[in-house]
Amino acid sequence: MMHLSMEQLLALREPGAEPGTQGARAHLDGCGSCRAEFDRLHQRVARLKALPALRPTRDRWPVVRARFEAERRARRLRRAGLIGLAAAASIALLIGLRGTFQPSIPSAVPAELSEAKARSQALEAAIDQYHPESRVVDGRTARIAQELEDRIAAVDRQLQVTDLADPGQRETQELNLWRERVGLLDALVDVHLTRASHVGL
Amino acid sequence: MDSYLLADTKTVVAQAKAGDPAGFEALYRAFEIPVYNLCRRICRTAEDAEDVLQETFLEICRSIGQFREDGSLWGWVRTIAASKALMRLRRNKYRDTEELNDEVVGQRREDTHLRMDLEAALERLSETSRAVVWLHDVEGYTHEEIAAMMGKTPSFSKSQLARAHTRLRRWLGEEVAA
Repeated sequence: MMHLSMEQLLALREPGAEPGTQGARAHLDGCGSCRAEFDRLHQRVARLKALPALRPTRDRWPVVRARFEAERRARRLRRAGLIGLAAAASIALLIGLRGTFQPSIPSAVPAELSEAKARSQALEAAIDQYHPESRVVDGRTARIAQELEDRIAAVDRQLQVTDLADPGQRETQELNLWRERVGLLDALVDVHLTRASHVGL
Repeated sequence: MDSYLLADTKTVVAQAKAGDPAGFEALYRAFEIPVYNLCRRICRTAEDAEDVLQETFLEICRSIGQFREDGSLWGWVRTIAASKALMRLRRNKYRDTEELNDEVVGQRREDTHLRMDLEAALERLSETSRAVVWLHDVEGYTHEEIAAMMGKTPSFSKSQLARAHTRLRRWLGEEVAA
């Protein structure tokens, strides 16, 4: 006598028996061997369900929270960056208009400032390409990255108020802040790259 | 399960949706163990399971705004966890040792009448088979749902389940002469 296959026994456990299972059901009712196999299948599934829950060895919440907060800060930074960019464009337009009526004073600062801004943009692009928000990191890396992002945010806030500074000192102040920003971004890139090499990403 | 794990699901979800860290932490504390257990049953190593646990909760924090409160919170959390765990399996592309293990166990069984306990037998299944067994038999997903999560067909899920049970039966020493 042909006994039921494992596929047939499993099909009989599915809710809403399919049309093809009627014959299998009839066989099961009349075959002690298949009935025993079916019961063992039930028991195996019950034992699987009764296995004790496995628990993580470490509390991962601090890492999850740090990463989520870093992501939120990065989103805010990007938004602030866009606003800052728009403000910078308006100021540049104003300066340009004033420049058409006033003789310009040659200085080395604007060139260095442009260089620092370009470097800052390049570093941000490098970080964006790395997609830090989609990476899994250890707690220490997350904390370091978070501190650096906080300091970058603080520099950005200072940059937004440099317009209020004395015109004679404004460019130098701005240049120093942009240089600091570049240094911090450099460090942030290093953190990401070091971590990447550690976990082989 | 939601009401068992969270005393006040609505309040906690509302807190999380408002971006309150206390809400996110309450979700983590409530679902940490069932999510880890699911991930650990699917992933090969505890380290992988912990990484998936972390990714799952990060995704929950990001996407809580999309959770529709007429559905089950645990159902939503569990689907994210299962998808992440299956994604980790695909990404790691572990060497599937099922055939080798099966052969070796078959030989050893004849020699030593090996009987494994259920934990060990489950661990010995291939990642795919184990995932199907766990998702279907324990978590209660249908073959259609498993197929959709794995990017396979329901027939694939059914045949994986049948093969897995055939092996478990043998490894657990439950076979009887017909």
